[in-house]
Amino acid sequence: MKKLNIAATEKSPKVIFDPDHYLFEMEGNSRPENVRDFYYPIIENLGSFFEKYITKKDFEVKNENPFKFNFKLDYFNSSSAKFISDILVIVKTYSEKNLNIKIYWYFEDGDEDMKEVGEEFSDMISVPFNYIMISK
Amino acid sequence: MKSYDVVINHKGPVNLEIIDQILHQLKNYLNHKIDDKVIRKRVYSLTVECLDNILKHSDLNDESHELVTSYPPRFIVEKIGEDFLIHTGNIIFNSNIDLVMQKIEKLNSLTQIDINSLYKESLSNAEISEKGGAGLGLIVMAKTTGQKIKYDFERINNNFSYFAMQLSLKK
Repeated sequence: MKKLNIAATEKSPKVIFDPDHYLFEMEGNSRPENVRDFYYPIIENLGSFFEKYITKKDFEVKNENPFKFNFKLDYFNSSSAKFISDILVIVKTYSEKNLNIKIYWYFEDGDEDMKEVGEEFSDMISVPFNYIMISK
Repeated sequence: MKSYDVVINHKGPVNLEIIDQILHQLKNYLNHKIDDKVIRKRVYSLTVECLDNILKHSDLNDESHELVTSYPPRFIVEKIGEDFLIHTGNIIFNSNIDLVMQKIEKLNSLTQIDINSLYKESLSNAEISEKGGAGLGLIVMAKTTGQKIKYDFERINNNFSYFAMQLSLKK
């Protein structure tokens, strides 16, 4: 298990993975120069964490606290979308194994396209999202 | 009479640094001139995808090559009234023409609902290429504009053609 705390740049989002606080969060813009180098470690880390996590004895107890996945993205390009969908596939896999997961999809007031993208992702993985509008 | 602005007019090499410059210039324009957040983000998104395609799919990149001097990569954004027109151009192998044409023709034949389904399907199935692309750029363009993609191939010689594309974003 590895905590992640990647700072945002103009081209890549802030990424936090804090298992102690049941939190995964992405925030900002995503069009990294090397999209594979940016996302592969994040996806591998998430996948291997959840694989081990659900086999632990105290899983049932811990499962009372939902694992929060917060997506606070302003913009992402098409190749980032592919990797965000890979992250969501991990969420789907473990939510089907009864892991208590909640997805929060943030969008700015007036940015209907960003809300729609969230709805498409939700539809794609058949897991409901919670939508949160931010006023700016 | 409709207002007319040339927002971006780039003819020449496209690399990561130039893409950043173009996006910076575009952002300044959009933030000052366009109130509608959805339009601002759509123009920005189309620009990123178009420039990324030029960068990753130009088949002749040597800036000093005489063909590149005669047929430079092109990226132009015009604002006509409330609508935007985006023009792109780059050199491709003649052997790639059929593939590109088939992709665009397929998208042009689909309804918006079908394009959205294709997008979701492609997200699940996409493989990231060596160049770092997910093959989703054209689908995103069709999805974002809701308009047919116009295109043309101008034959340069036995190996290369100039691929020109035009996207239209209506308010």
